[in-house]
Amino acid sequence: MIEFKDVSLVYPNGTQGLKDVNITIEDGEFVVIVGLSGAGKSTLIRSINRLVSPTSGELIVDNDNILKYRGRKLRKLRTKIGMIFQNYNLVRRSSVFKNVLAGRLGHTGTLRSVFNFFSKDDKALAYESLKRVNIEDKLYSRADELSGGQQQRVSIARVLTQKPKYILADEPVASLDPPTSHQVMKYLKKINQEDGITTIVNLHFIDMAMEYADRIIGMRAGEVVFDGPASEVTEKTFEEIYGRSIRDEDFVGGAEEDQDDSVKGAEEDGEGNE
Amino acid sequence: MSMELPPKKPRSTKKLVRNVAIILAVAALYVWTFASIQIDFARVIERAQSNFDRVIPKLFSPNWDRAGEVIDMMIETIFIAYVGSLAAAIIAVPLGFLAAKNMTGSRIFSTLGVWILSAVRAFPEIILAILFIVAVGPTPFAGILAIAIGSTGMLGKLYAESLEAIDMNVVEAMQANGANRIQVMFHGIIPQVIPEFLSYAIYRFEIDVRASTVLGYVGAGGIGTMIFFAQSSRNWSDMGMILLVIIIVVTIFDYASSYIRRRII
Repeated sequence: MIEFKDVSLVYPNGTQGLKDVNITIEDGEFVVIVGLSGAGKSTLIRSINRLVSPTSGELIVDNDNILKYRGRKLRKLRTKIGMIFQNYNLVRRSSVFKNVLAGRLGHTGTLRSVFNFFSKDDKALAYESLKRVNIEDKLYSRADELSGGQQQRVSIARVLTQKPKYILADEPVASLDPPTSHQVMKYLKKINQEDGITTIVNLHFIDMAMEYADRIIGMRAGEVVFDGPASEVTEKTFEEIYGRSIRDEDFVGGAEEDQDDSVKGAEEDGEGNE
Repeated sequence: MSMELPPKKPRSTKKLVRNVAIILAVAALYVWTFASIQIDFARVIERAQSNFDRVIPKLFSPNWDRAGEVIDMMIETIFIAYVGSLAAAIIAVPLGFLAAKNMTGSRIFSTLGVWILSAVRAFPEIILAILFIVAVGPTPFAGILAIAIGSTGMLGKLYAESLEAIDMNVVEAMQANGANRIQVMFHGIIPQVIPEFLSYAIYRFEIDVRASTVLGYVGAGGIGTMIFFAQSSRNWSDMGMILLVIIIVVTIFDYASSYIRRRII
C-alpha cells in the first residue's frame, strides 16, 4: 500500500512540484495519473521510488515512511519498485538479454554482478520475462537494433525480472505510435491482472486512461484535482482536470475492439517493420 | 517571371577595418618573429649546396646489410609503445572517471581530475624520457614509463569527455531498480563507453609508435638509439635504412589503427 500524507515538493529553483497531496493506493490497483505536462505527474510517480525527494509530508510504502530512507534502505525500497520510462532507457549497445538481466542487479551481490555471474534462476527468469512480452527471439540482439515498441517491451521485461511489488510507468507510450501504444498498455494491464502488481501509469491521452485504468487521478499545478474510479470519468471530468476544453490532440486514437487479437496483430506489425 | 535576388548582405566599414587590422597584425607578427630568429640565408644556401648532394643520395640508398638489426630495434620500439600505451589505457580509466563532471557528483573531484590530467599532459615525452632515464637508467623501461605517463594525460581527458556524453537516463533507470554505484558503473556506464575507450587507446598506441621512435635518441631504448649513432658518425646510408623502416611501420600502424577503429565504433 502506498500512502501520500500531505506530501509537498518544492524544487530548488522554487517550482512547486507537488502541493499537499493526499492519496492512498491499494495493492493490486491499476492507477492512471492524468494531467497536462508540468502538472506534477512525473514528480508524483518519481517520489514513490525517490528519484525525486518530497520536501514535506509523509510517504508511506508498506507501512514505513520512505522519505527518511538513504543508502542501502533506499536501494532495498527500489528493488521492489520497478520503473518504465518514456525513452525506455536501455543500454543501447548491450544485448536485450543483458538489459533484462540488469533488472536483477538490486537482488545480486556487487562482486557477482561485476563479473556477470547471474544465477541460473535469474537467467531463466529473464528469459521467461522476455517470453511474457513475446520478444524472446530478440534475446541476443543489441537493444538499439529494436523498434521503439520492441524496446519498451524489453524494458517491461526488465521490470518483470526485477519481481517488483509495484510498477511505475512514466509516460510509457509518449514516444510510440497509437497501435504500439495500445499494445504496451495491454501488456502492462495483463501483468497487473496476472501478477497482482500495483501499477501506476502517467498518461496524457484521455481515451487511453479511460480504457485501461481502474482508477484515475487527475493533477493540475501539483495538486490532485480528481480521484475516482475510471467508470465515473467522463470527458467533462477531463475538462475540469485540464482546466480547458478537450481537443483532438488529447486522444491517441487507434483503439482496437478485440483485445486478444490486437496484441497478436500488433505483434506481427512490430516484427515486420524492422 | 524572373525571381528576385536576395538582398545583399549589409557590409559595415567597422568590420572591414577590423578584418584589415587583423590581417596586418598577423603579417607583422610573422615578419617580426622571422626577423628576430636571425637566419643567415647566405650560410643556409652555402651549406645546402655542399651537403645536399652528399647526404640526400645516401639517405635514398639505405644500407641493406643492417636491415636485420634495424628491424630488431624497430620491434623493440613497438614493444615499448605497446606496453606503455596499454599501461596508460588502464591508468587513465580511474582518472577519466575522476575528471568527468557527471561521475563523482562533486565539482571538487572533477576539477582535481582535470588538473591532474593537464599537469601530466604538460610534459613532452622526451622530457619524461630524460627524467626516467635519471630515475631507472638508460633502458627501454625508461621509454615505457615515458610513454605510459605521456599518454595517460591525453587518454584520461578523452575518456572523461566520452563519459560526459553518455546517456544518464540509463544510469537513472538502474538506480531506480536498486543497483548500487558499482553495479551502475559496470552495467550502465561502462557498456556505453567501452567502444570509445578502446578506439582512443588504439589511436594513442598509433601515436606512441611514432613517439617512441625518437625516445632512444636520449637513451630510452628503441630505434632512436640507432638514429643517434648514425647521426654522430655521419652514416647517412644507415640513417636511410632506419628512416625507411620507421616510415613503413608507422604507415602500416596508421592504416591498421584507422581500420580497426572504424570497425569498433
